Amino acid sequence: MNEDAQLSEGTQEKPAQEEPAPEKEAQSQEAPKPPSVRVRIRRGGAAGDPDEHFDEFQVETGPRMTVLDALVAVQSAQEPTLSFRYSCRVGMCGTCALKVNGRPAWACRTRLEGLGDEITLEPLANFPVLSDLAVDMSPFFEKMKRARGWLEPTSLAEKAPALIAPNSRERKRIEPHIECITCGICYASCSIVGHDSDYLGPAALNRAYTLVNDSRDALGLERLLEVCTEDGAWRCHSQYNCTESCPKGISPTGAIKGLKRRAVAGGVKRFAASIFRGRAPGA
Amino acid sequence: MTSVKDPVPNKPPVWKISAWRSMYPGMWSWVLQRLSALALIVLFPIHVMNPYIDSVRITMLLLVVWHSMHGIKVILTDFGFPDRHQRKLLWVLSAVGVAAFFWLAFMHKEYWRFMS
Ligand code: SF4
Ligand code: FES
Repeated sequence: MNEDAQLSEGTQEKPAQEEPAPEKEAQSQEAPKPPSVRVRIRRGGAAGDPDEHFDEFQVETGPRMTVLDALVAVQSAQEPTLSFRYSCRVGMCGTCALKVNGRPAWACRTRLEGLGDEITLEPLANFPVLSDLAVDMSPFFEKMKRARGWLEPTSLAEKAPALIAPNSRERKRIEPHIECITCGICYASCSIVGHDSDYLGPAALNRAYTLVNDSRDALGLERLLEVCTEDGAWRCHSQYNCTESCPKGISPTGAIKGLKRRAVAGGVKRFAASIFRGRAPGA
Repeated sequence: MTSVKDPVPNKPPVWKISAWRSMYPGMWSWVLQRLSALALIVLFPIHVMNPYIDSVRITMLLLVVWHSMHGIKVILTDFGFPDRHQRKLLWVLSAVGVAAFFWLAFMHKEYWRFMS
């Protein structure tokens, strides 16, 4: 952004004005216009706002420029009232997610290159919109809470540091699922969340999966039963929208399938045990 | 949720393209499997009442093969088929399904009478 401003306002134009050499002028006429993109941005308040509309901005682009850079450029030079959210700018915090050309993505890690001459930016689906591109994440974090997305340590884990070897099966099972930065992209791309607003959603279930597999966690079966409900793991239809869209390469679908497998295995074991003991299953 | 005056989740209506743009192959696989199931529910009674309508038979064959291929995909992934290959699995099974359809259809050439 700063570089762009310097280039256009400071260094380039002045020498061209001061030196009236015809050759230079001819050169500057021939020089191609700086590349730019048209950015269409959804404006307005909550979903269904009668004032909802798209504003268009022309933004000069530079090498390696991202969607977030374009938004900052629009906000600082053209439309100071534009609302959007970001924090780290490097794909670590998960606050900048929005829809780029219809698909959810992180603004800060989505390069403008390859997106075409016109880019459409919309707020994430399945979240209540606050203003313009900023959405309210609270339903998402409510569901993290509902899935009890935190460790409840066993008495042993409270006393001594846990030993989970990097090569252990446990660690390998959890490993691919711990990188979630709660950006909400999976939640926005999930058609089941769109259909059933009580559904826990991919990220919360992914979190639950890491904890269910964690030997330091005391909740065990209780946790499993809490998330394997009609509005939990069993609601998933294996559409893989979350897996395809997660920028961290996590497969929440895989985590949900893992929860389902655990629940079924536990159920089968209990069924077999009760038959063995000569009791009616569940009695 | 309390922080918003109007907590209506932002959902594009289904008739808008943008509602469908974020859908990936796995989603389409699911949609087509559902639609094939619905079509089979309609066709099955017709087939039972009059088993010799060739166009119904061939359509049912196509739908059953399609439906089962995607059912197989779900079963395999449910039992631990690696998720990173689920797209490939989808293409492979679709190809197998199409091949199976043609093979079965030519095994029973009489199905094609309705074409002539
Ligand atoms: S699972 Fe992936 S897409 Fe979903 S919130 Fe976590 S990082 Fe974002
Ligand atoms: S601003 Fe932090 S992830 Fe994009």
